[in-house]
Amino acid sequence: MTTHLDAPDATGVPVPPPTTTARRKRARPGIQLIIGASLIGLVAIVALVSLVWTPYDPETTVAADRLQFPSAAHWFGTDRFGRDVLSAVMAGSQITLLVGFIAVGIAVVVGVPLGILAGMRQGRLGDLIMRGNDILLAFPGLLLAIVFGAVFGAGTVTAMVALGIGSIPAFARVARSGTLQVMKTDYVFAARAANRSEFRIALRHVLPNISGMIVVQCSVNFGIAVLAEAGLSFLGLGTMPPTPSWGRMLQESQQFLGSYDYLAIAPGLAIAVAVLGFNLLGDGLRDRFDPKMRSNR
Amino acid sequence: MNARTSRRALATTAAAAAAVLALSACSAGSSSGGSDTPSDAIVIGLTGEPVNLDFTTTSGAAIPQVVMNNVYEGLVTIDQEGELQPQLAESWEVSEDGTVYDFALHDEVTFSDGEDFTAADAVFSIERVQSDAWLNGTKSKMDVVASAEAVSDTELRVTLSRPSNAWLFDMGTYVGAMFSETGVDDLATTPIGTGPYTVESFVSGDRITLAGRDDYWGEEPDITDVTLRYFADAVASTNALRSGDIDMVYNMQAPDLMGQFESDDAFQVIEGTSNGEILLSMNNRVAPFDDVRVRQAVMYAIDRQAVIDAAWAGYGTEIGAMVPPTDPYYEDLTDMYPYDPEKARELLAEAGAEDLSITFDVPTRPYATAVSEIVVSQLAEVGIDASIQSSEFPAVWLDKVFTQADYQMSVILAVEARDVLATFNNPDYYIGYDNSKIADQVIAADSGTPEEYVSGMQEVVRTISEDAASDVLFLFPNLVVADADLDGIAANAVTESLILSGLTWSD
Repeated sequence: MTTHLDAPDATGVPVPPPTTTARRKRARPGIQLIIGASLIGLVAIVALVSLVWTPYDPETTVAADRLQFPSAAHWFGTDRFGRDVLSAVMAGSQITLLVGFIAVGIAVVVGVPLGILAGMRQGRLGDLIMRGNDILLAFPGLLLAIVFGAVFGAGTVTAMVALGIGSIPAFARVARSGTLQVMKTDYVFAARAANRSEFRIALRHVLPNISGMIVVQCSVNFGIAVLAEAGLSFLGLGTMPPTPSWGRMLQESQQFLGSYDYLAIAPGLAIAVAVLGFNLLGDGLRDRFDPKMRSNR
Repeated sequence: MNARTSRRALATTAAAAAAVLALSACSAGSSSGGSDTPSDAIVIGLTGEPVNLDFTTTSGAAIPQVVMNNVYEGLVTIDQEGELQPQLAESWEVSEDGTVYDFALHDEVTFSDGEDFTAADAVFSIERVQSDAWLNGTKSKMDVVASAEAVSDTELRVTLSRPSNAWLFDMGTYVGAMFSETGVDDLATTPIGTGPYTVESFVSGDRITLAGRDDYWGEEPDITDVTLRYFADAVASTNALRSGDIDMVYNMQAPDLMGQFESDDAFQVIEGTSNGEILLSMNNRVAPFDDVRVRQAVMYAIDRQAVIDAAWAGYGTEIGAMVPPTDPYYEDLTDMYPYDPEKARELLAEAGAEDLSITFDVPTRPYATAVSEIVVSQLAEVGIDASIQSSEFPAVWLDKVFTQADYQMSVILAVEARDVLATFNNPDYYIGYDNSKIADQVIAADSGTPEEYVSGMQEVVRTISEDAASDVLFLFPNLVVADADLDGIAANAVTESLILSGLTWSD
């Protein structure tokens, strides 16, 4: 997961892996990509379905139905408030994906331009950006989210923004190292010779060529954001009740582990599926995009 | 990049997912029961830590829970049955008109700093409540005292401005704590009282240790080494009990775990009574709850038995008003606002408050988060959209909701004994109930005969309920789970105080 954060050496250029590995990987169908995409597809479909339909209203409490074991009526059972766990897990995927999209979106929109800028303008400005980046990197995303929660009040929005800001350094670094490679290519020299503006070079040459790396990073960070949101909600700093959230479902299931373990298993599996999906997807994409990066050089 | 990295990422993912599961699985410990604590030591698990130890300036029941009857004592105290008993006062006489109290104090009582306790200290303590040094809102309980004088070292005379049925009882709570004239400089960390224990250390966020005094005037407690450990999480405290790290969980906050302990011989489970009401507080001063119809609508919208069942596993009692059945002026008012969502919608329509959106400040306490979810769901059914705002307890909640009254709706466990007047007969309190209707009635009842007191207070409580000042959801049980060998547990939380001195190990 951390490969992209650590890879750049002193000059910022990633060490190219042996080409034989790349060829072997390229020849094999991307099994990780398929599994990852399937898992994410599953989560996405569930989220879409839950927008229009869930077996029960995930927020309505029915005291008479509390703590029922999984049955035909309630596939995943009911929780201490008599809410249907399957419905809550389905609806919880919305928050999971929303947090992932917004957090990664913020990180891409801010981090990538900063990284490209730092890569193209080496020197004082580039150093300034990357040192600022390092400072931000020193704060773990979760810690940042907890601080934000304390200052601005805990909630989904705070969590999304904080996780987004926390992910900026990863994207800035990836974008910068990619930019450094692209800036050494002949076509960039040619574009410069043709007196193309820096902005145009960034848009026409740099961005398309580093987009593969960015997409990979998106997938990885999406997984991180999903896990972080679950962690924050577990601690009561993420999504506020009654909006269903997998992390909070886990937290609420704690005192029932000895007696009603299905309450923890359902959201726990959901988190595992989503995180695993995004990481496999990221790995699969990486395998696909890396050779292309190499052929560009 | 290559297969190795992918595998690592895969492993990391799996580990992360496993960690999430493991995080929740940490309560799945096996029962070992018992612990190897020495016979003069005990470790008690609590949730809800005090901010400091000075209840004269800081609100919150966690402070008197630790220090009252343990570090501080009063002239009188309230026993486990809710009856008044002598403590530092050996006996007392009340004048015929009910305004002059003559107390005979115990001789040879010393404070933990070595000073003697005399009638002068009692005068000092009573006057201190009335002075500006005492900031806690409960100070109004001492308003009725006109003068206090030390007739001799062991004779104290207190004159009230009018007869009061409530005053002597209040003296058994922390308002009546006796301080040393020379021992009030550092109440926040070094409380000095006449009680059987002294505070040895206070590690914020973790524990308080108390040590037994060998110069205590009364019977010295068996257990002299008491550690109170504070858990942020109710499940963590029961896990600590199972693993033998602690010997008792007092005021247990995970009622759904009670069943497991009940079936285990290594533990004893006690459902004590309490004076604690789960209060769904509504800010009477701000919209929309400045409209009595909206408040009444909330009362009708809540199915209290469902709240008890879902949020607290059925432990708890519907009481209908802020008066527990153990109080002399208790009256069953549970039928006043039956669960009637239709009526609630009508009242909201009448008040022009359909599609209401409110903010619900929920303190980070287990009962509060549990209650809030079902309350929100029930309010939604009548068209009130309550959005939960989590308030860290105690610091943030006490500041924002309790002190600044910057809230619309909140929920809190009000544990003070006979607190209906403290809560509603004070327009400056965070509830902001307009007490003009009841203020005179209260004084009349308090100065009347005991019979007039009961009937007068019942009338006051009915008025408060008719105005739907706030919704008392249920009477909170004081659930205690302890090592089976522990005796002398004061499980009835009749005041805030957790009385430690009776505890003893049976073998």
